[in-house]
Amino acid sequence: MSTFTPAPMPSALTFELDARCSTTKARAATLTLPHGPVQLPLFMPVATQASLKGLTPEQLEATGCRLCLNNTYHLGLKPGQEVLEKVGGAHKLQGWKHNLLTDSGGFQMVSLLKLANITEDGVRFLSPHDGSPMLLTPEHSISLQNTIGSDIIMQLDDVLVTTSPDAARMREAMLRSVRWLDRCIAAHANPTTQNLFCIIQGGLDLEMRKECCEEMVARNTPGIAIGGLSGGEAKADYCKVVNTCTGLLPELKPRYVMGIGYPEDLVVSVALGADMFDCVWPTRTARFGNAITKHGVLNLRNAKYASDFGPLEDGCDCLCCRRGDGGLNVTRAFINHIAGKETVGAHLLTMHNVWYQLELMRNVRKAIIEDRYPEFLKQFFKDLHTDKAKYPVWTVDALRMVGVDLME
Amino acid sequence: MTISEDIEGSSRASSLSFEISGAIEYSTPDARLGRLSIAGRNDIDTPNFFSISSRGVVPHLTPDVIGEHTQPGGVHVALEDFIERATIGTPPIMNVPGNAPLHTFTCLPTSFITLLAPRRTPAVIAPIGNTNTAISIFTSTGFQSLSNKAYVNYAEKLHPDIIIGLADVPHGTVPGVKRIDKMGDRTEGWLTELLASEHTKSAVFAPILPIEYHSQFEYLNNLDEFADKIRGLAFYDSNLLPDIPATTAVAQLPRLSLDEPSSPHEILRQISLGMDIFTIPFIGFATDAGIALDFQFPSPSTSSEVVSTGNGSTTKSLGVDMWSTEHSTSLDPLSVSCECYACTIHHRSFIQHLLSAKEMLGWALLQIHNHYVLSKFFSFIRESIGQGTFEADCETFARYYETELPEKSGQGPRVRGYQFKTEGPGERKKNQPGWRGDLEVA
Ligand SMILES: [Zn+2]
Ligand SMILES: [Zn+2]
Repeated sequence: MSTFTPAPMPSALTFELDARCSTTKARAATLTLPHGPVQLPLFMPVATQASLKGLTPEQLEATGCRLCLNNTYHLGLKPGQEVLEKVGGAHKLQGWKHNLLTDSGGFQMVSLLKLANITEDGVRFLSPHDGSPMLLTPEHSISLQNTIGSDIIMQLDDVLVTTSPDAARMREAMLRSVRWLDRCIAAHANPTTQNLFCIIQGGLDLEMRKECCEEMVARNTPGIAIGGLSGGEAKADYCKVVNTCTGLLPELKPRYVMGIGYPEDLVVSVALGADMFDCVWPTRTARFGNAITKHGVLNLRNAKYASDFGPLEDGCDCLCCRRGDGGLNVTRAFINHIAGKETVGAHLLTMHNVWYQLELMRNVRKAIIEDRYPEFLKQFFKDLHTDKAKYPVWTVDALRMVGVDLME
Repeated sequence: MTISEDIEGSSRASSLSFEISGAIEYSTPDARLGRLSIAGRNDIDTPNFFSISSRGVVPHLTPDVIGEHTQPGGVHVALEDFIERATIGTPPIMNVPGNAPLHTFTCLPTSFITLLAPRRTPAVIAPIGNTNTAISIFTSTGFQSLSNKAYVNYAEKLHPDIIIGLADVPHGTVPGVKRIDKMGDRTEGWLTELLASEHTKSAVFAPILPIEYHSQFEYLNNLDEFADKIRGLAFYDSNLLPDIPATTAVAQLPRLSLDEPSSPHEILRQISLGMDIFTIPFIGFATDAGIALDFQFPSPSTSSEVVSTGNGSTTKSLGVDMWSTEHSTSLDPLSVSCECYACTIHHRSFIQHLLSAKEMLGWALLQIHNHYVLSKFFSFIRESIGQGTFEADCETFARYYETELPEKSGQGPRVRGYQFKTEGPGERKKNQPGWRGDLEVA
């Protein structure tokens, strides 16, 4: 494939690099989107169906969130494009004043609907409403996202699990994703108000990833995502892909790694040069009574917390844990008392977990700006695992690639 | 909303005071205005209502939302929601540090009054009856008995602002003649023990039993002797209100309804008998059914809302079924001119979407709105009583609105509470299995 010469593409964002880590590839940046600026690196919680697990938009705002996800596939089903059109988009539907990002809908179709299959036209699937055959094309995905009005929209891509052994199929998917990107760009009706991101594919094959980076960077989208990961590949392989891609991407564009959210994955991926992440894990795990802390995840349904009157996490400044200043003084014992019995338990844990993720990234950013990210990483892993012998090998290896030795 | 301020002096009597405005006509039951005050809490103008909690939370609402977006006078808390571990040890709530463990544990705003009752309202029917020393309660792990001794002990430790005395109420069954004879005696005995406790600083409300006046005649008459110690009356049956000794100090006590009014009309009826404070299960029922309450007292103020009732044969519904797809593109608030958080920030389209997508926020927003509608309802009632137009306004309300809340059409939230006790083996599953293709949602 020859390198494509792009038509000039409008962009609805500005990207300002605020600082660079002098050791790792970590960066701090300010990304200004149609609904206001966000600070990178950034974690984005997922409000699948235009609502985040029972939180009011006001409560989500209070965690500091200024950019969250909606899923195009779900919004396409409910409330549907027609309603979205009439209501005036997803911001208006959910009363959210800040930024939204939507996925293309393709990934969820492939992962949720077993009967989906992919052709050059698009993703063929059976309607979950009545079983009739349907087709999601790049044009349809963009049209839906145009109606949703999200600040960042994603191209439809041909996603394969990275662990697929079929190299020919993987290459086909990568090349098709490039072709679909061209169709998405052509179909995009609002390039001055919505930012289309391309998605780098190519599985775990670094050469294929390089080829894809080259093709897609040439198309000059306002931002770039690294896709197809978090699908069960070895963490070491994941890190190699991210590291390879960020090495080839333009410095002055945001880099979004899709579907990543475990704290360890976040801090390592930032060191490898990625800026933006999303994952349902923090909010999903809240539903099961889990609180994320810097010392690991606590399952508060466990009877040992029944009389633990401490905050969910010592020193946490979220609305639940905060003492005074309007804080709720929620205790582990109280969550233990209501978890699984009243949805409020999940709401409170969601507030804490989202805060945890956003606060982690705020601290990451601060460390980058103060050029002490290597020290931050060392403290992070010390808090999480206490004993160096317990540090996951992949984290140690990945950080060595960018000049940080956790074992020092 | 910081940790509850300590109420000084652990053995000091309750600071609850209740003032009835205007001259009191003891001889006739009538709607009345009052103000309930407890040190450290917001004063409550009555008639008014308390929210009903489940395991210490107002369902669907986090404590910050309750504090910022609802205005109930207080919260009804059931002891049976906290003591499932009593059979194997000390319930955790008994170990909560500080002087206001109930407030502290449940994270309720400090301005809110806590009202502790032995049982939920409505309460699950117990298969075994009460005894001379204990009642049957239903916890998250099953039925237990709760002795009055234990109840007094909980009261001494938990320091609710208000506590309702243990009552021998046979929830769900009609007591026989022999049983009725015992009910007043048992309840009086238990109340005597609670009042004798030197460590209770809670305001004690005496329960009024859901049986004929003459069957609890002795107990009710003896209440007079306790009048300086009890701080209120809790009615399991509001029809007893006119029978309460009217000439004495008892008549000046605040009156709480546990009579589970099924509609706003029923609330008005009880107010006309002189009821002051309500617990209102239909708020939660409406929320869970996806119904946005939609009534004002005595009728909507905005003329645009007045539906043409023509010859008066049609009446307006008390609520809007938000499951209906007719709302799917509506940018209207749940009710016109409502100023609640849900109606100012959101619209029907979103709430319809949330219900249909089974997103928890749908029920949270409805709960905010439904609480707000009731707060407004009571505030207009107070205005009406103050202006002396209450009786006429009740008639207007009765003419204008339907008598019952609308039937529910959609599904409620995922039923996961143990409190939804199955009534028997033949009962249908509360949660219908979803359609095969229902998608796992993040
Ligand atoms: Zn917290
Ligand atoms: Zn409202």
